[in-house]
Amino acid sequence: MKRSKLMALLLAGSMLLGLAACGGGGTTTPAPEGSKAAEPAQSQAAEPSTAESITLWTYPIGNWGKEAEVKAMTDAFTAETGIKVTVEYLAYADGDDKVNSALSAGNAPDLIMEGPERLVANWGANGHMVPLNDLVDDTDKKEINAAAMAACTNTDGSIYEYPLVMTAHCMAVNLDAFKAAGADQYLDLKTHTWTTENFFKAVDALYAHFGQTVGAVYCAGQGGDQGTRALVNNLYGGTFTNAEHTAYTWDDPKNVQALEKLRDTKGIEFDASLAGGDEIAKFYQGALKMAFCWNIAQQLDPNAAGTGSGKTVTGEEIAFMAFPSEDGNSKLQGGIWGFGIFDNGNEAKIAAAKQFIKYMCDSEHTADAVKTANYFAVRNTAEGNDLSNIWADNPIMAEYNVLMPLLGDYYQVTTNWAQARTSWWTMLQKVGEGADVSEMVAQYAKEAIGG
Amino acid sequence: MANKASKPTMSRALQRREDVAGYLFMLPSLIFFLGFVVIPMFICIGYSLTDATMHQKAATAFVGFSNFGKLLGDEVFLEALKNTFIIVIVSVPAVAAFSLWVSSAIYKLKGPVLSAFRCIFYLPVVTGSVAVTVVWKWMFDNYTGIINTVLSGAGLIEKNINFLGDSRYALWCIILILFTTSVGQPIVLYVSALGNVDQSLVEAAQVDGATNFQVFWKIKWPQMMPTTLYILVITTINSFQCFALIQLLTQGGSGTNTVMYYIYYTAFKLTEQAGHFGYANAMGVVLAVFIAILSAVQFKLAKEK
Repeated sequence: MKRSKLMALLLAGSMLLGLAACGGGGTTTPAPEGSKAAEPAQSQAAEPSTAESITLWTYPIGNWGKEAEVKAMTDAFTAETGIKVTVEYLAYADGDDKVNSALSAGNAPDLIMEGPERLVANWGANGHMVPLNDLVDDTDKKEINAAAMAACTNTDGSIYEYPLVMTAHCMAVNLDAFKAAGADQYLDLKTHTWTTENFFKAVDALYAHFGQTVGAVYCAGQGGDQGTRALVNNLYGGTFTNAEHTAYTWDDPKNVQALEKLRDTKGIEFDASLAGGDEIAKFYQGALKMAFCWNIAQQLDPNAAGTGSGKTVTGEEIAFMAFPSEDGNSKLQGGIWGFGIFDNGNEAKIAAAKQFIKYMCDSEHTADAVKTANYFAVRNTAEGNDLSNIWADNPIMAEYNVLMPLLGDYYQVTTNWAQARTSWWTMLQKVGEGADVSEMVAQYAKEAIGG
Repeated sequence: MANKASKPTMSRALQRREDVAGYLFMLPSLIFFLGFVVIPMFICIGYSLTDATMHQKAATAFVGFSNFGKLLGDEVFLEALKNTFIIVIVSVPAVAAFSLWVSSAIYKLKGPVLSAFRCIFYLPVVTGSVAVTVVWKWMFDNYTGIINTVLSGAGLIEKNINFLGDSRYALWCIILILFTTSVGQPIVLYVSALGNVDQSLVEAAQVDGATNFQVFWKIKWPQMMPTTLYILVITTINSFQCFALIQLLTQGGSGTNTVMYYIYYTAFKLTEQAGHFGYANAMGVVLAVFIAILSAVQFKLAKEK
C-alpha cells in the first residue's frame, strides 16, 4: 500500500514537473568549426557544385521579402546552374529566434540574407559562418564600397557577408499635414535636411494644429532602432560608439540633452507599445505625422502596402528627410545587406551557396538582385556590368541620392552589439516612464559593454 | 479440490492478460509522455547544471548550482518572477471565482440557452491565441484603439492611455486578456459539476430548512471539490506559463516580463548570451519547482477540506 502510494506520488510529481517544465530542454549541437583563419584574398570564381539544392532564409529586405520577386530570380539561377533554391521568408519580429533555434538544432539554412550586425558580429564571430574571402578578389575590393566591405569583415579578417546593397536610413514626414499646420516652412525639400531648431518648431506647430502625438520614439523592441539612435545622436551631435568601434559612447551629454528635450516636447511620445514596423504602419495610416524608421524602400512602397510610392493610405504626400541636426548636416545610419553561408559541414552545399552568391552579387544578374532589394548597389560594376545607373529611370531613387553623401559610420559591428540594442530600447522605455535621463543613460551604456 | 487449486492460476493468467492489454493501450501515449515530457524534463535538469550555450564548441562544462546562484542576483529574473507571481495570485482566484459564479447562474438554464452561454465563454479558448491577442492589441491601441476612442469620446480621459506601453497598465491588460481566455474551460467544468450534484442531498437539506448559502456551502461545494482542485491546478500552471501574450503584445517590456518569456529570451533571442541554455534551463527548473510546490499546497488544502 505504502509502495503504491509512493509510486503514485512520484508519478504525480513527475507529471506536474513535466507539465511545468515542458518549455525547457534544448539540445546543444556543438557549433561547426567555421572560424577558420582568414585566407589571403585570392581571385577565384565559385566552383560549380555537385549539390542539387540549397536553402536560403531571407529577411524582408525590400522585395527580397516577396516570394513572387524572389522566385523569378531563384528560378533563373536554377535554370542556369541546376541547383534548386528553397527560400524561407523571415520577419524581423522573430527571424533571429528562428535562426538561433535552427542553429541550436543543427539545421541552419545554407544561405542567409541580412546585414553585418547579425552575419558578422554575431553568427560569424561565434563561428557559425563560412569565411567568404575566396569570393572577394582584388577587383571586387576595388569595386565594392570600402566601408561596406569593412563592415562585412570580422576583426580576424574573415569576410562573413558578401554585400549586395546599401542605403542611408532616414526619417519621413507627412507633407500634407505639415502644410496644414504651416510647418512645411521648416523643411528644406531641396536638400531634404533640417535643423534641430526647425524640427522642434515643426513638432510644436503640428501638435498645436492636430492636438495629438506627432512622432513616436518607439521602443517596444529592437526593430527599427536605427531610427531612434539616429534621431537622438543627430539632434545635438552625440555619438553611439567611438570611431574604432571598441566602446559605446551613448552616455555622451549631448545624447542626454537630446533625450531630455524629446521627452519634454509635447508632440513627441516615448511609446513602448510600438516597434519600428508598428511606427511605419501608424505613419502610413496618418496617425503619426512623422516616422523615424524610414528609408528608400519605404519611400518607394510605404508600409509595403503596394498603394503607391511616397503616399500614405489616404494619399497624403510623404517626404523623406535626413534627421535634424544643429547645422543641418546630419550623419545617417547606414544599412548594408548581403549574403552569408552557414557552415553546416557539407562542402557541396557550401560550394553551391557560393555559386548563388557569385550569381547574385557579382555577375550580369546583380542589377536584378539589387533592384529587387529597392536599395543601392554596394559596387559600381559587377564583372564589367555597370551598376551606377541602374536607377536612372526612377526619379525617386535619383532624388534619394541626395542623402547618400550623409551616410555616417557603420558602427553596428561594435562588440556586444546585440546586447547594446537591447539596452538601448530598454533605456528608452525607462526614460519615457520618467526616470532620470542621465542615470538611465549611464546605467544602460554600462550594461551594453557588459558592465 | 483440483478446481479450487487451479482457480487462482487462471485468475493470475487473466490478470496478466488484462495488465498487458492495459499497458498496450497506454503505450502510445506513454511513448509521447516519456519522449516529450519526462526525458526532456531530465535533460532540462541536466542542462541547468552546465554552462551550455548555442555557441559552445567544446563539451559543455558542469558548473553545479552556479546558474541557480546567478539567478538570485539577476534583477531581470527577479522582476520576471515577481510579475509571474502577480499574474498567478490575481488570475487564479479571479478565474475560479468568476467561473463558479457564472456556472451557478447558468447551469439550470434550458438546453439551448445553456449551450449558447457555454459557447460564448468557450469561444476565446478555442480561438487561436494569436488571433485573440491581435484583436486585443487593436482594442488597446494607443492611437486608434476602440477603448481609447470610447474613453475619450465619453470625456473620461484627456489624453489617450498607452495601455500596452505604460508599465502602470500593461501587466493588468495582460492579466485581463489571460482571464478572458482562461474562464471558458472552468465554466464548462463547473456547469457539469453542478449538474452532477446529488439532488436528493440538496432536497433533504432544503427540507431540513437549510438556506441557499448553506446548501451551496455544505452540500454542493464539497461535491465540486475535485473539479475545483483540477481548475486551480490547471489555471495555476497556465498562469505561471503565460508566454504567448507577452511575446505578442509587449515582448517583456513595460514591466510585463515573466519567467517563461525570460526563459525564451535567454535561450533564443539574439543577444550576446543567445542560446544560454544552461541558464535558461535553470530558470525552467525553478519555475517548475514553484509550480509543483503551489500545486502540492492546493492538493493538500483540498484534501483537508
